[in-house]
Amino acid sequence: MENFLGLWMESGLHLMQPGQVIMILVGMVLLFLAINKNFEPLLLVPIGFGGILANIPGAELASSAVDAALHAAHPDVMAAFANALGIDPAAGVKAIKHAYEVASATHHAQLANLAADFGYNNGMLYNFYSVAIASGVAPLVIFMGVGAMTDFGPLLANPRTLFLGAAAQFGIFATVMGAVALNYFGIMDFSIADAAAIGIIGGADGPTAIYVASLLAPELLGAIAVAAYSYMALVPLIQPPIMKALTTHEERKIVMTQMRVVSKREKIIFPIVVLVLVAMFLPSAAPLLGMFCFGNLMKECGVVDRLSDTAQNALINITTIFLGLSVGSKLAADKFLDPKTLGILALGIVAFGIGTAMGVIMAKLMNKFSSQKINPLIGSAGVSAVPMAARVSNRVGLEANPQNFLLMHAMGPNVAGVIGSAVAAGVMISMVQAMTN
Amino acid sequence: MQQGIMQQGVDLMLYGMGTVFVFLTLLVIATAIMSSLVQRFLPEAPPVIPAPRPAAAPAGVTDPKLIAVIKAAVDQHRAKNK
Repeated sequence: MENFLGLWMESGLHLMQPGQVIMILVGMVLLFLAINKNFEPLLLVPIGFGGILANIPGAELASSAVDAALHAAHPDVMAAFANALGIDPAAGVKAIKHAYEVASATHHAQLANLAADFGYNNGMLYNFYSVAIASGVAPLVIFMGVGAMTDFGPLLANPRTLFLGAAAQFGIFATVMGAVALNYFGIMDFSIADAAAIGIIGGADGPTAIYVASLLAPELLGAIAVAAYSYMALVPLIQPPIMKALTTHEERKIVMTQMRVVSKREKIIFPIVVLVLVAMFLPSAAPLLGMFCFGNLMKECGVVDRLSDTAQNALINITTIFLGLSVGSKLAADKFLDPKTLGILALGIVAFGIGTAMGVIMAKLMNKFSSQKINPLIGSAGVSAVPMAARVSNRVGLEANPQNFLLMHAMGPNVAGVIGSAVAAGVMISMVQAMTN
Repeated sequence: MQQGIMQQGVDLMLYGMGTVFVFLTLLVIATAIMSSLVQRFLPEAPPVIPAPRPAAAPAGVTDPKLIAVIKAAVDQHRAKNK
């Protein structure tokens, strides 16, 4: 009989909390969207599944050893923790948890060792998260793979399109202001670091968003990643109404001149030019752009095809699996079921909208000053989201003029957007870290 | 503090957007210079077009019979697709 009781106490049904039920349902909705609606399936399948795993009651897959110990709240362990943190052991588990959250890295390490002494282990997903995301490795490796898949030809043929990629980054900073304003009016409690991490959703670049969030606001990472990837899947729905509202039928019909042929040598030298500029002016963007340029150089130089092939296929796939599961581990009920998540989702879509609009407006502005007309529809591709945004530009252009193929022209601002969001990410990380220290 | 975070947000926007534009403008300039230098000093050898094989074609190609057959087939096709 006692054995039965023990089994029941250990079972998921007994330990289940309402928040976990909801989060498991959220994970299933993500799986449904990925499998049935084809929403960024490569990311949302691992994220959704990781989210379900993270919320299995009793398994504590997403918890560190310390969290697991705090959750079990064994009196001996709590006394040892309180001692290490220098607070009164009688203060209770809540006080210890709070003291742990604000404690220094030294204390964190000490408690982790204590927890290990008492036989608590890190959960599987927690380990994935520390290796893949907390260390910054996975987003950077993915960025390298994206670099190895990127063709800068259209950008080199028409470098002016870099301005479109720059303009579209305004979505990021407008959203930062939005988050700050929500905080100012007391609607939600966002710090400047939170605001910056939310804003980067507007960069429409998954790995960049995860990289920035992991550095500035790890507790919001789950919501930010889910928002970024869901909206990237929704680009074909979000962008066209904005693009059509801001352009006339005549503008949408503009046919762009055939692009010149870009030589192999230009393509090889370009990543090195970017790297030199980063080294000279923007060292804070070096991790992201450095890996990106490295990947691109491997592709273009033509002598390390094996490495380039690995970076853009096997390696990026492996990394995506662990990145997705690790993001899923951040879909814990107490972090995700928070009004802030709604705020992040709302701000994220605003960020996409503003970025799209600014790209289109910038293209119209450039037409005012230049004789070589560009079709304003390619401006919207300045929000990265490669290659979805460029395809949207092409489709809307074809609606206006069935003979007008904008895809290659739109790839220019599209890859410019990737560089632009990496630059914006670098600036924000260095500025916010200077502000908060 | 409330005023502070608003100020921080504005700073972040102005400096951030400014940096993005300045950096990408530099990149446009650098790219343009690089491309013109490469095109002037390091032009790629024009792709070598393999010279058409001189008269390797067998005599049969000019066979009047074959030409007549091809002509008939083309005419038939054109008539069909009118």
